[in-house]
Amino acid sequence: MSSRNMRLAAAILVAGALTVTTACSSGHSNSDSASASKSPVAATAISVGTAADSKGPAVAEPGAKKGGTVNMIDRDDFSHLDPAQVYMNYNSEVSLLFTRQLTGYKYSADGSSQKLVGDLATDTGTTTDGGKTWKFTLKDGVKWQDGTPITSGDVKYSIERTYASFIKSGPTYIQSWISGDKYRDAYPGPMGGQELGAIATPDDKTVVITFADVHPDANFTLAMTGYGIVPKAHDTKEEYDKKPFSSGPYQIVEHVTDKSLDLERNPNWDPATDPIRNAYPDKWHMEFGVQAQQSTERFMADNGPDKTAFSFHNQVHTTYIDQVKADEKLKPRTLQGLTPYVDYYYINNTRIKDQKVREALIRAFPHQQTRQLQGGTSYGDYATSYMSPTVLGYEANDLYDVLKKPEGDPEAAKKLLTEANAVGQTIVYAYNNTPVQQKVTEAIRDALEKAGFKFVPKPLDSKTYYDQTGLVNNEYDLYWGGWGADWPTGYTSIQPVWDGRTIADGASNYAHFNDPEINTAIDAAAKIADPIAQGKAWAAIDKQLQQKAASIPDVYQRSISLYGSGLGGVKFDSLFGLQFPLNIYVK
Amino acid sequence: MLRFLVRRSLGALVILVIVSMVTYALFFAIPADPARLYCGKTCSPENLALIKHAMGFDQSTPVQYWHWLSGIFTGQIIDGKNCAAPCFGYSFAKQEMVGGILLDRFPTTLSLTIGSAIIFLIFGIGTGMLAAHKQGKAVDKIASSASLLASSMQIYVAGPLALWALVYSTDLMKQPAYVPFTEDPIGSITGMLVPWIVLSLIWTANYTRMTRSSMVEQLSEDYVRTARAKGMSGSSVFLRYAWRGAMGTIVTVFGIDLGVLLGGAIITETTFSLHGLGELAIHSFRDSDLSLLVGVTMVAATLIVAFNIVVDAAYALIDPRIRLA
Repeated sequence: MSSRNMRLAAAILVAGALTVTTACSSGHSNSDSASASKSPVAATAISVGTAADSKGPAVAEPGAKKGGTVNMIDRDDFSHLDPAQVYMNYNSEVSLLFTRQLTGYKYSADGSSQKLVGDLATDTGTTTDGGKTWKFTLKDGVKWQDGTPITSGDVKYSIERTYASFIKSGPTYIQSWISGDKYRDAYPGPMGGQELGAIATPDDKTVVITFADVHPDANFTLAMTGYGIVPKAHDTKEEYDKKPFSSGPYQIVEHVTDKSLDLERNPNWDPATDPIRNAYPDKWHMEFGVQAQQSTERFMADNGPDKTAFSFHNQVHTTYIDQVKADEKLKPRTLQGLTPYVDYYYINNTRIKDQKVREALIRAFPHQQTRQLQGGTSYGDYATSYMSPTVLGYEANDLYDVLKKPEGDPEAAKKLLTEANAVGQTIVYAYNNTPVQQKVTEAIRDALEKAGFKFVPKPLDSKTYYDQTGLVNNEYDLYWGGWGADWPTGYTSIQPVWDGRTIADGASNYAHFNDPEINTAIDAAAKIADPIAQGKAWAAIDKQLQQKAASIPDVYQRSISLYGSGLGGVKFDSLFGLQFPLNIYVK
Repeated sequence: MLRFLVRRSLGALVILVIVSMVTYALFFAIPADPARLYCGKTCSPENLALIKHAMGFDQSTPVQYWHWLSGIFTGQIIDGKNCAAPCFGYSFAKQEMVGGILLDRFPTTLSLTIGSAIIFLIFGIGTGMLAAHKQGKAVDKIASSASLLASSMQIYVAGPLALWALVYSTDLMKQPAYVPFTEDPIGSITGMLVPWIVLSLIWTANYTRMTRSSMVEQLSEDYVRTARAKGMSGSSVFLRYAWRGAMGTIVTVFGIDLGVLLGGAIITETTFSLHGLGELAIHSFRDSDLSLLVGVTMVAATLIVAFNIVVDAAYALIDPRIRLA
């Protein structure tokens, strides 16, 4: 037995013993990272591509060859495959293989940048009125899996059916922008034969969408899988969620809920129409029910069919993170990257009204200790902004010296509290009552008490955590939460979380932050047509939020995962924070 | 016997109704809103109301319970879908009828249970009898020590180790998977070998210890001594008297164990990525999937209650001294 196998066997013993005790935790253990010296993984740059960029085929993966079957192992089956129901990142990632949208994202050859390009459309859309009316022209040669051409009518129908009452979990941006928040009252969906007047199809190739107001980044919104296309002739309504009809390079052969999903080539997909997707494998076999510990052990052992396996979602189990990072043999098939998700500790602004007290909380917060308890550097990078580095326009800064003093600065915090005449102020901290979060809570208690706060922890049950912290009149001052942008511009990083007009029970503004200056700036930024200028505007709002001490940005989340040695072209998708399937090939 | 079975079955029905009521009550005792889980990231109040209505959560708990209970006998329409009797509800997480899901998952759990039960009964009882027969000798000491060691192992330790030793690093055995016997008889065995071995390892140890102690106890009973004094051969005394006396305990425990295992071996199924009732129980709890949670609970409860009745009935067959009053 090699020393590596001995280490693996020993780790399995430990991991096995730990499985039950950590089964209900948030998934991050005490593992501190041994790789403080590792090179940072840069965020992927985002830009808007041209019509030339929107032409197929996709950028070829060096050394890639066609053929073979790629296996995928993951803990859970995809909760939705009907495009209109897809919101979660892993559902979106697999949908890339069989669902196309008007627009999509194309990686550069080295994977360092992404461009928004036309997917079904010839370009990323045109607007002549600042984003109120959007016109898209479909490419020639785009077809469904049965060979029938994809038409503008299909695009119109696909958006119309997002209004139907059986569509319950997908994005609602386009519907709300066309018909208002109560969009289903305005239009019941196409099942009764009614059409949506805001979408015009003057011919089979042209789609014109008219919103009630300007939305300059609607072409980003339409890149969401939630606005992928569905054929009217094959729309099985609720049943469509199990087995969608393909417009992409693969079609579903069989989907057994919770067990497996098998794909084979769609013979009617033309790579010349597709600038995003390479389709190297002949088949995909996906299996569910594999826990992160098992998938990590299988990838490390790298035997049999696991040699040609990857995982969309399962990361390296926390027990093995240090071992994986230290193992030179595993390095070539270890993927690391920044996800679009940012951890915040929300300060309840309805209870902590004094900005100096909020600033004191930010200064005192022990990022280093809490991150270490949740996986160390593998868990993420210290966050100093509300927008993730993966978002267009992100600007790095460090107003509160978090990078200089990640362990917290109790002296500076105490000074601020003294100035606010608030030494001894009580902070009620609500936390998810898991073993890891119990330890995190103690680290926060220690830091805040050193700074002069009185700390009162309130454990909440995992199942009710978001329900309770989501109440406007909750009785907590500080609580953890996270957010990820729906598309990589500042709009969905900032607006849902920091627009004070959205405050409601269960809404995304967990901090209940309501500042008229910010609200006005959000409206103004949302109307800027130029993506670069808009990105700068969102970054400026981000900085304003920091100056106003809206809450505590904590960590830009990272991901670390493995795949089998028999695969090439496996890359990290910073858009969804998962392994990216479109360049994968069997060696 | 018939009166006994009818009476116990009626009692079992009452127990099952109580179990279902308690499951419902416990589910709603948690102040979480399951509808939010199905509402997406930016959940509007309108969407939430739509989902609550579809799931029936806009009705009172007793009304929801009554719909579920009556649906078993009359069927029901759930969110526009026809659920024919016996209807056990609709899983919004899996978007399938609960009855169909349970039927799909049960064979995996059945295979896991039957396969491992055959192994642990043969080896556990056999080793236990051997140890009792050779009481105090080396064989007894080795068997007792080995069973103590094995019974102190847990699935979540033995399982990953077995996977590593037999599958991941050596490829000696197949990745665990359930294949129906009718589709591939050999594959149905090879796919379950590792889970059977691991599960039966721990249970074999338990049955070895139980069989040994029961046999040793029986061998010291007066009626066994009397049989020996009357000149019966050692093997006849051992097998016809002591073994029959020990069987009562073994059958009782096995009946209960079988019910528990068929209700879902949660850790075993999770460890080996098997899609049985145990895994389903975890999913239903994680997803706050009320219909599925009640469905899995009722299957487990029904099996436990049913096997208890079978065990009670079996007493009369094993030991004529016991009459079913």
